[in-house]
Amino acid sequence: MGRSMIRKILGGYYRLLQILLTVLMAGLLIPVVLQILSRYTGIIPRYIWTEEIARFCFIWIVMVGAMIAVRDGTHFDVDLLPRLGPRADAVLRLFTHVAMFAVALIFVTYGYQFAKFGSIQTSEIAGLPMLAIYIAWPLAGLTWLAFLGEKFFEDIRILRGDIPPPPNHEIPRAE
Amino acid sequence: MSPGDVALILFATFGILVVLRVPVAFALGLACVPVFFIDDRLTPFVLLQEMFKSYNAFVLLAVPFFLLAANLMNAAGITDRLVRLSQALVGHLPGGLGHINVMVSMLFAGISGSSTADAAGIGSLLIPQMQKQGYDTRFSVAVTACSSVMGVIIPPSILMVVWGGLMSVSIGGLFLAGVVPGILIALSMMATVYVYARIYDYPIYAQSSLRELGNAVAQAALALMTPLIIVGGIVFGFFTPTEASVIAVIYSLILGVFIYRSIAPRELPKILYDSARFAAISLFCIGTASAFGWALAYFQIPRALVAEIEAMGLGVIGTGIMVAVAFLVIGMFIDAIPAIIILGTVLWPVATSVGMHPIHFAIIGVISLAFGLVTPPYGLCLLIACAIGKIRVIDALRDVAILLVPMLLVLLLIILLPDIILALPRLVMPKFVN
Repeated sequence: MGRSMIRKILGGYYRLLQILLTVLMAGLLIPVVLQILSRYTGIIPRYIWTEEIARFCFIWIVMVGAMIAVRDGTHFDVDLLPRLGPRADAVLRLFTHVAMFAVALIFVTYGYQFAKFGSIQTSEIAGLPMLAIYIAWPLAGLTWLAFLGEKFFEDIRILRGDIPPPPNHEIPRAE
Repeated sequence: MSPGDVALILFATFGILVVLRVPVAFALGLACVPVFFIDDRLTPFVLLQEMFKSYNAFVLLAVPFFLLAANLMNAAGITDRLVRLSQALVGHLPGGLGHINVMVSMLFAGISGSSTADAAGIGSLLIPQMQKQGYDTRFSVAVTACSSVMGVIIPPSILMVVWGGLMSVSIGGLFLAGVVPGILIALSMMATVYVYARIYDYPIYAQSSLRELGNAVAQAALALMTPLIIVGGIVFGFFTPTEASVIAVIYSLILGVFIYRSIAPRELPKILYDSARFAAISLFCIGTASAFGWALAYFQIPRALVAEIEAMGLGVIGTGIMVAVAFLVIGMFIDAIPAIIILGTVLWPVATSVGMHPIHFAIIGVISLAFGLVTPPYGLCLLIACAIGKIRVIDALRDVAILLVPMLLVLLLIILLPDIILALPRLVMPKFVN
């Protein structure tokens, strides 16, 4: 598989995560709306699983959003250091990605235990397997490993002068 | 190892990683790792466990919902209506658009619980207009950024929901306590705008007739109902903060899609995605910050700090000033929500030990953190406003500093006279707030 092929696969996976995040947000809204409707109007019966579904969607929103933000580099960081020149900046970027890689490794190794721990539990009300939630941690770790691997290649190519450095720091936007 | 040594390891590792531009959420998680190997009973497994526990709090669901409601309000063009209303109210003062900017932020703050949505929505509308009318771009950016901090001070407020949920303080009480400081900050900012307008001779609008004012009020009336529904609902116990945030979403959806018809249904997925992603980035930070906070508590660092500070013999005012400085400094470097988790939980026992009112403590913390939204290097609202005005952060700093001075005086006033903020919650909720 060529480099561009891997890029394409990661790009497709990234797009899939974006769609998943949108669906999860809608999925978060619906059970809580149902819960409120049943509590205040009595139009619909009171479902007890709504809160658990909401929690489930919520945790997945956080984890999927955290996966997406690694690829587009929008996790909050602090821009304290001045620009050091293209080479030094590339080295620094590489270091940042190595540090994040370490966190990803922790998520994968300990996340595996965490998921195993979850696989023997079910949720209190709806009896959902807790694995469905705990698995988000190792999955986030694996996703980060893939996205960060892509970034390593980029960093090294910038260091070797094969491609120009990216434009200045991205600014997080609320909209 | 003594609590001091562990604290040094935690904070030094975190500090170095952040300076080297490791994202804050990852730096917090990574900083805990060496500590997990100090004690045989700990493993990095705790990191994941604490993250899970922190996300499992139902009250946090309010964060994405309040963000979604704010983004829906922006998309629905409610901001435009509030601008017209503000113009009718304060446009005739010297420096008209500057006052309008402050006024809109105040009104928007009453509708949304997020400052970043405030800066983005109002900035993209008013900064170009201010530039066209000959205002200095640096000043326009600074006013937009500084006035947006009211978003989390005037209820509803995401920060107060998180604070109340975390430290078991009445969220309704916090909301009510935020009203007066919010208005004081708006007034202090309008005074600064007035002085600027006199010096630089900024333009004014013609005074609106009563008819125009009436029209503007009618146009904005439905939007202005939001704070009454949300804050009233929480304060009088009709619904929980999480439910209130969902009601805000439903209300803004109805306004945008059915009544004003300014949101096309096909725009909704993008609004959902943007809100979810922004919420996820700050919430992810909560997880690792909670693990960091857990490590601090496990090694009894807050207790050691209480002993230190009790030995200093600070009273309520001295402690209040110390709390404000601590939050102002940490707010310069990290996002407000993880700052609440890390510092709030450390300083909470200190505040209790000197007999500070929990709401007083919370409001000092929230206002200080709100100011952190416009102070570099990590000032989200300033970054957003600068991006809209297309200037560098460093260019806006002088005007931000000038605007901040009277705002800091308001903070000092609140530290010295807690009754300013406690009067309203005591009046409305005598059963819950003593």
